[in-house]
Amino acid sequence: MADAGASPAPKPSSSVKLVLLGEAAVGKSSLVMRFVNNDFQENKEPTIGAAFLTQKCNLPTRTIKFEIWDTAGQERFASLAPMYYRNAQAALVVYDITKSTSLTKAQHWVAELQRQASPGIVIALVGNKLDLASPSSSSADDADGGDGGDEEADEGDARKVPTKTAKAYAEEEGLLFFETSAKTGERVAEVFTAIANAIPETQLKGPRGAAGGQRQEESRVNLGAAKDASAKEGCAC
Amino acid sequence: MFNLSSIVQKAQQLIDPALTAPTERKPSKSALFRLQFRLPETQNPLQEITAELTLSAQRTTEGTHLIERDRDRARGNRYVGKLHLSEHYMCFSTQASSYLSTASTANSTSFTGQTHGSGPAGNGFTLPLCAIRRVERLHSQNTAFSLAITTSNGFSDHSKQGTTDAPQRLVMQLAGSRQQCDRFCDGLKKGLRAGMRDVENLRKVVGLSYSEYHLADEAAKDGKKELIPTREAPDTGLGSIFRYPGDSRKLRDKAKMRLWKEYMRENGRNATLIRQPTFHKLIRVGLPNRLRGEIWELSSGSFYLRLQNPDLYVQTLSKYSGQESLAIDEIEKDLNRSLPEYPGFQSEEGIGRLRRVLTAYSWTNEDVGYCQAMNIVVAALLIYTSEVQAFYLLSVLCDRLLPGYYSQTMYGTLLDQRVFESLVEKTMPILWDHVQKSDVQLSIVSLPWFLSLYINSMPLVFAFRVLDVFFLEGPKVLFQIGLAILRINGEELLDASDDGAFISVLKDYFSRLEDSAHPKSENPKLRAVTRFQELMVVAFKEFAGITQDTISKQRSAHKEVVLENIENFAKRTSIRNLGPESKKLSLADLGFLYDRFYGVLYDRQQRSQTIQDESERKAKAGKSKAQQLVTGIPAADDVEVGRVALGASTTQMDYDAFREFLVGVARWAVADTQSPSHDLEKQSYFTNSTRSRSISMSPWGAGPDPADDEFIRRLFRKWDVDEYKSLSLQNVVVGFAKVKGARDIMSTIAYFFDLYDDDNDGKVDRDGILKMSEALLFLGRRGFVTSALASPSQTPIQNGASPRLDKNPQRTTSKDEEFLSAVSSFIRRCFEYADADNAHAIQMAKNAAAEESATASSLADFSIGGDEEDDDLVDLTSDSIPLTPTTPRQTSTSPIMSSPSQLMNLPPMPSETKPNTHAANAALDPANPLFITLPTFRMLVLADETLEHFFDTDFVNSFHLADQPVDSTASSSSNLTTFANLGKGFQRPNLGAPALSLPASGGVVPPGKGLRGMLDNIVTDGMRVATEVRRRMEEAQRELDSASTPGGAGSSTHKDDEDDEEDDHRTIDDVNADRRSVREGDRDLLEGLEAAELDGSDAGSVGKVENLMDAGLTSPVRSSRASTSSERTGNGIVEFER
Repeated sequence: MADAGASPAPKPSSSVKLVLLGEAAVGKSSLVMRFVNNDFQENKEPTIGAAFLTQKCNLPTRTIKFEIWDTAGQERFASLAPMYYRNAQAALVVYDITKSTSLTKAQHWVAELQRQASPGIVIALVGNKLDLASPSSSSADDADGGDGGDEEADEGDARKVPTKTAKAYAEEEGLLFFETSAKTGERVAEVFTAIANAIPETQLKGPRGAAGGQRQEESRVNLGAAKDASAKEGCAC
Repeated sequence: MFNLSSIVQKAQQLIDPALTAPTERKPSKSALFRLQFRLPETQNPLQEITAELTLSAQRTTEGTHLIERDRDRARGNRYVGKLHLSEHYMCFSTQASSYLSTASTANSTSFTGQTHGSGPAGNGFTLPLCAIRRVERLHSQNTAFSLAITTSNGFSDHSKQGTTDAPQRLVMQLAGSRQQCDRFCDGLKKGLRAGMRDVENLRKVVGLSYSEYHLADEAAKDGKKELIPTREAPDTGLGSIFRYPGDSRKLRDKAKMRLWKEYMRENGRNATLIRQPTFHKLIRVGLPNRLRGEIWELSSGSFYLRLQNPDLYVQTLSKYSGQESLAIDEIEKDLNRSLPEYPGFQSEEGIGRLRRVLTAYSWTNEDVGYCQAMNIVVAALLIYTSEVQAFYLLSVLCDRLLPGYYSQTMYGTLLDQRVFESLVEKTMPILWDHVQKSDVQLSIVSLPWFLSLYINSMPLVFAFRVLDVFFLEGPKVLFQIGLAILRINGEELLDASDDGAFISVLKDYFSRLEDSAHPKSENPKLRAVTRFQELMVVAFKEFAGITQDTISKQRSAHKEVVLENIENFAKRTSIRNLGPESKKLSLADLGFLYDRFYGVLYDRQQRSQTIQDESERKAKAGKSKAQQLVTGIPAADDVEVGRVALGASTTQMDYDAFREFLVGVARWAVADTQSPSHDLEKQSYFTNSTRSRSISMSPWGAGPDPADDEFIRRLFRKWDVDEYKSLSLQNVVVGFAKVKGARDIMSTIAYFFDLYDDDNDGKVDRDGILKMSEALLFLGRRGFVTSALASPSQTPIQNGASPRLDKNPQRTTSKDEEFLSAVSSFIRRCFEYADADNAHAIQMAKNAAAEESATASSLADFSIGGDEEDDDLVDLTSDSIPLTPTTPRQTSTSPIMSSPSQLMNLPPMPSETKPNTHAANAALDPANPLFITLPTFRMLVLADETLEHFFDTDFVNSFHLADQPVDSTASSSSNLTTFANLGKGFQRPNLGAPALSLPASGGVVPPGKGLRGMLDNIVTDGMRVATEVRRRMEEAQRELDSASTPGGAGSSTHKDDEDDEEDDHRTIDDVNADRRSVREGDRDLLEGLEAAELDGSDAGSVGKVENLMDAGLTSPVRSSRASTSSERTGNGIVEFER
């Protein structure tokens, strides 16, 4: 839309379609809300079909405009999902670290995306509700974006999915991995930055509707580089 | 290949042959009738007659009775239309342009006739018979047949009749022959009498309607206060407490209320409302707040549902009070997030109402349960309606107006998105091109419009205006509004090049609906037109061509693709979610199992439905067909029940379904006897004649009857890990994964053993052993497709799917023989090596290892000592089966004939020190409990090449998954491997000498029936073989008892070799010698029996076939059912021989 052109940054700008998937009530909408508005709401209207939001993410060399499709989580809406992940360049598969079934569901989504979504889609596995886990079980201070944590969950906190389990799975499948809290905002921006960095340059289109030819040749980023980059760069949002 | 699309085709042909012939579009009256007048499912058009409705133009409170007919006719509005009579309703509609020229309102036509039978279009009424107070026959001039109908208007004030408005009176002039009129009147009389029962319901429902209260209130103001009991205003929704949305002054609510009051005073209210052109107009301009709920109820027909069962809501709530469900959990999550900006839903009152309505509905329709978006819709309804009203409105919404929208798969939503897209393509090709080019997914914006009826897209005030028309005119309104929105914003949308821009253009539009559509116009009237008004005009004028009929056709056109997409998605998802065990099977296999699983469930549901409805089948088929034509979607409750995309209601497979399931997977699962109707069905399957298909009423449908065997029962029980007495897809897949995924003979043997190890103690007892053997025979009775023993002459699988038997009968037969012999020797050896239950168990365990090595060494010994090759061993084994009639007997002297003696000389347990005869006796004595363990079982299997091969490949391969599915239509009995169709080597039993043959006490063959009886039994039930085996075992044992002499011991066969070291003094040479001399030395009774029974017929194989057929066809004791099956058997054998 017009926004992209109005961006003050002279940096090249490209839009990235990102879809959020995951079980109901894991905090997909809240993550987006945190990312887009830096806000958190306890009672949000359930997403009907999908909600659409946009947010820019400034990287040193370029600006990524995220077109975020936040999908409904209720099981029966799953059959609508192909409509939304169609042509997506990135996906955020969210689970709730206090609910182990939600990781299973997330794994299903990952499998679905790997088989059905556009090839080369960048998938990030995100364990949300980190605020409900005791601090020792998380790796909050670890700035490394690709490294979700190294400790097993303590007995006693609400965490049900050990970081190790999810991380091992993510590594096996070649996913970005994060644990976040939409409520506190912890590491939410990092997720999006990491994704922005992980999108292969070749996949980037110019801002649609604006002058399309502004592709950049530098900063071909791979997943490994994304991990390092995400540590230093935050989204300007 | 069996897949869902074939199911779909089959189903459609079964359900609706007319679908393939679209010219034949004659939906039944019942459905059209119900849809037109929005009546409950219980109503059918019983009578129909052309009639003219005459309404007085102006009625005054006094003097109605005095109005003369002539004057009435001169002044009133007249409408010609059809008068219908159903069980509980009398309905009248002009339908579209059927006004008489005297119709007073000139412009009324634009408000009628667009709903094409999907709503109460046109002028007329839907009158519950219980609301008719009096019907008079007017003896009019000439031949006209007139009825004056007095309704019970103001029923709640029944006791004070005459004090309020004068009763409403309509005159119907029937146009028809005398006979027709009389018939109609008879029907009406009957209906009226029956209607008396419902008067109480009517009073209850009407008493809660605001119109009644409002008009009574008005009457009170007119000075009759003392006669009107003061009462509370009926519940008109949360709006009456928390304010209705919008500025009521701006909405001109009072003016609208006055107009409605006037209209209702003249044309009746609630149950007795008559629809005249003004009615449609009043709805188009928006309903007044307090009447909104009531008019919604009337125009959607939910009023009639409520009238039919006014207490359902309260009853449902109390019935399920305190119970929990998944739907309730989901509802709870969303209660706080339903129209949260409306003050009513920030209060406990509002949230409580929302909770109760959603919960009650989730109980009445558990298939739908709760779907997000319902919370928003119901919250909106509750602003204007009471809980009860909202409950029935929701029912009508989910069941009739928005079919499939909120279902488990939301197929209705997806389908209508497809329909919407195609309408956009048709009506706005330029925009459509743009959308396509810029890769915008239209449904991304339109899906929430449809799913939540524009409620969370537009400002509430406007969304309710859309709802007003929607409830009256049906789902096409959603399409018209949607198209109008795109048309109005066309220019801007053409500039938007991505989803985001698209969405933002529309968001902006919705936020300015209140603004003037022509702000710069000079004309103040034009300037006053709001964008919303413009939207309505565009929607209903420019898109007037979008009718219910359009929608229905489009739905039919796109239904298949949409359902298939959903099914593919569901299949993908479901297969992925089957858990780690499923990884042992290939994706193709999983897909195959999925299709087969749901295919069987679907077929079964269809069948049970068909069978259930058979008596009223014709009527039913007509109805569903009509419904489908009208809505474009099959009535989910009775047409495609069980189809995955519609949200399959069953995901569990019971035992019978499992049997049917197996028929498509394994050949042995096909029953040997088929129900008589099967011939017809099979025929129809091949000819694809829909007519004969629909006749089929077999409980198994078009497929062959499944077998019902102990083995299948055991498999079912084993796979039913949750002990639900039913299997989920997961259970089935895990079950198959264990069988097919093993691919290792040891685990397959263990698996089979476990099936029969009832108490999981690692032992299978005597009974279990026999059952195992029965199972082996059961599994092997049709031969196997791939066998290592198969010669090169084995023909490749024909038709790509249907495994055929070897063209070379000799070769195959001998293979089958081998299997049968292997099984019988298995039984024998089971008892040889079985442990006595207690003491022996320990020894057995101790010696298990030694035993196995003994086996190995004995085999080695054998090949070294005797100049026998392995082949010989097999031959010996397969021939050494005096115990079963399967033995290909040779009457000539031959070393092989030593076999019977084996039985006489059952070797002792390997570890036994006792004399072998004694041990053998113990093993065979039924009084002595015995068992075999897994190691024993394994040893016995591995000792026999045929069995080893069976467990190595045949057993696993007998389950055909995606690689080579069983052609379930392949003849079920064509290739049974039983005694009956053993080829070469099978010698005809001696009919003349049954004396020693299977005694009647065996329960198998009646004496004297001889061959015929035996064949009948064997052919029709391969399992009985085992019974025979068992009986012979006992007989043999008796023989053994008498023969436990040194002489008997001397006739041990080679098979005893393994025990030679310990207790046999003979050498291998001795054994061979024994074998050669057996013919002479072992003329015992048993062999005599065998010979007498099996010998004596030298007919060739062709002759045998004829004989078989004769046996089947002429058997006097078999029922016609049996003879059918025998005939098939015969046919099968002919094919086999060829």
